[in-house]
Amino acid sequence: MIEARGLTKVYGDKTAVAGVDFTVQPGRVTGFLGPNGAGKSTTMRMIMGLDRPTSGTVTVDGVPYARHAAPLRDVGALLDAKAVHTSRSAYNHLLAMAATHGIPKQRVLDVIEMTGLGEVARKKVGGFSLGMGQRLGIAAALLGDPRTVILDEPVNGLDPEGVVWVRNLVKYLASEGRTVFLSSHLMSEMAVTADHLIVIGRGRIIADAPIQDIITGKDRGRVRVRTDQAAELTRLLTADGATVDGATVDGQENELLEVTGLEPRRIARTALEHGVMIYELTPLRASLEEAYMELTKDEVEYHSLITTGDTAPAQAGGN
Amino acid sequence: MSSTTIDPTPSRREPGGPAHAAGGSGRPAGLSTGPGPSFPRVLNAEFIKFRSLLSSVILLVATAAVIVGIGALASWGIGQALQSSGADPQRSAALAAQGDIAASAPGAGISFAQLILGSLAVLIISSEFTTGMARSTFTAVPRRIPAFVAKLIVVAVSAFVVTAVSLYISGLVAVPIFEQYGHTLDVSSDHYWRTLLINSAYVAAVAAIGLALGALLRNSAGGIMALVGLFFVLPIALQIIQGDVVKELRKYTPDSTLTPMTASQHFPDTLEAWQAALVLGAWVVIPLVLAGFLLKKRDV
Repeated sequence: MIEARGLTKVYGDKTAVAGVDFTVQPGRVTGFLGPNGAGKSTTMRMIMGLDRPTSGTVTVDGVPYARHAAPLRDVGALLDAKAVHTSRSAYNHLLAMAATHGIPKQRVLDVIEMTGLGEVARKKVGGFSLGMGQRLGIAAALLGDPRTVILDEPVNGLDPEGVVWVRNLVKYLASEGRTVFLSSHLMSEMAVTADHLIVIGRGRIIADAPIQDIITGKDRGRVRVRTDQAAELTRLLTADGATVDGATVDGQENELLEVTGLEPRRIARTALEHGVMIYELTPLRASLEEAYMELTKDEVEYHSLITTGDTAPAQAGGN
Repeated sequence: MSSTTIDPTPSRREPGGPAHAAGGSGRPAGLSTGPGPSFPRVLNAEFIKFRSLLSSVILLVATAAVIVGIGALASWGIGQALQSSGADPQRSAALAAQGDIAASAPGAGISFAQLILGSLAVLIISSEFTTGMARSTFTAVPRRIPAFVAKLIVVAVSAFVVTAVSLYISGLVAVPIFEQYGHTLDVSSDHYWRTLLINSAYVAAVAAIGLALGALLRNSAGGIMALVGLFFVLPIALQIIQGDVVKELRKYTPDSTLTPMTASQHFPDTLEAWQAALVLGAWVVIPLVLAGFLLKKRDV
C-alpha cells in the first residue's frame, strides 16, 4: 500500500506536485493518469526516495522507502527506461542490482527469461530499442519479487505484443495481492489495464475513483439544455443541485446551459414544474477519452492549437 | 521475443527460498523477506559494476602501460646521463645531490597515471548521473552513502593496486636497463618499497578526489576539467604568478605533496613529509565529505 499525504514538490518557482493525497491499495491495478508534465514522474520519484518532498510524506507499507530494510524486495520500480549505464550489458546491470540485496543469480536469469530479454541480455544496453529498455526496466523492478510494483509509463515504446504482455503482467501481479501502481498519459491504455484510477493534472489530484465510475462519468454526467429563460432555469437547477452532490450549472451562451450532476429527467421535470420552456435536452455521454480530456482540460500545461481549435466548436455549437 | 506471456513458474523463488511469493497479501506489511543492502553486498555490487564496464578495464590497462612505458624510457635516459657523467666528477656530484635519481626512474609515469585514474574515478560516478544509472543505484541503496563509500573503496583500491603493481613491474624493467649503463638499481630496499607504496597511495588519493569532483559536478567533462585544473593548471598558474603568498600557496597544492612524502631528504620550499601527508589528506577528506553530504541531500 502506498500512502501520500500532502505530498508537495517545488522546483524553484515551479510547483510540480501540489499537496496531493492518495492511497494505492494492494490487490488491484491502480492507474496514475495525467498529461505530460502533470507531476506523475515526480510523484513516483518521491515514492522511491530519489526526490525529497518539499513538504508532506509518502510511505510504502507504512514506511518511507529509504527506511525499508530491503527496499528492492519490498518495492520494485521502473522509473524510466534509461536508468541504466549504456555501456553495461543487461545481465551485468541486473547482476549488480541483485548483488546489493543478495538476490541469487538464478533470479537474474529468471527475470531475463520472464521479460523476453534472453537474446540480448549480454549486449550493451546502449544499443537497445526503447521497447527493450522498457523490458529491462521491468526486469529490474521484478528482481526482488516485491510486493509493491511501480511502473512509470511502462508501455512507452513497446510493440503491440509487448503492450499486451505488460497489461497481463500487471493484472497478474495485482491478482497475487501485490500493490501495482502504473502511470500513463494514455486514457485508452488505462481503460483496459487499471481497476482504479488516480488522475493528476498540474500537480493536483483531479479524480480518484474506480475505473468504472470514471468511464461511465458517474459524477460527471453532463446534460446540454437550451432554453430562453437561462437565468431562471439556472437558478432553479442550482437550487435542485443542493440535493444532488456536486451539481453545477455552466452558462455558455445566453440560452445554452451545461448541467452537471442532474439526470435529464430531473431537469425536464424541474423545467415543467416551473413553466420554463426548454427546446433541447441532450445527455452528453463522454467517452473515457473525453472524460479524461474534460477532467484535465484546465490542467494541461501545454495546449496544442489543434486540440483547442477542435474542442471549442464542439462545445459551443453542438447543434 | 520468445517469452511474451507470463509464465509464473520460472519466476517464482528457487526451492528452499521463503514461501512468500505465492501470495503477496499474506506477507506482513513493513517486513522485508530477505537480506537488504548490507555494506559488503553494496561493495560487491559496486565491484561488479566497475569490472563490467569496458572503459574501466581499458583505463586500468592504459595506466599500467603508461607507468611501465614511461618508467622504461626514464630509466634509459637517466642511465645514459649517469654513464656520461661518470667520467665527470662535477656532474656526478650534482646528480648525487638530487638523491637516488635512478630509484625515481620507474615512477616517472606517475603524473600521467594520476590523470588517467583520477579521470576514471570522475567517470565512475558522473557517468551514473549522465546515463540515469544513478536512479537504479540509489533505488537499490536509498541511504546513498554506503554506495558512495563502496565506489570510493573500489576506485581507490583499484588505483592503489594497479599503480603498485605497475611500479613494481616498471622497477623490474628498469634494473637491466640500468645494468647496461653500469648502474645498479636496488628494487628491494626499504626506501624503494616505501616510495613505491607512497606513490601508489598518492594515486589512490587523486582517484578519491576525482570521485568527489564527479559526485559534486555530476558531469564527466566538468569533473575531468576540474581535476586537470587542480593538478595541472593550478600549479602552473602559481608558478607564473610571483609573490610571497603565492610562493607559500604552491606548497599546498595537492600535486606538490608527493615530492616531500617520497624524498629521502627535505628540499627547501617544500613541506615536511608529515605536513604534506596532512595537506593531501585534507584535499581528499574535505571534497569527499562535501560530496557525500550533498549526495545525501540532493535529488537524484
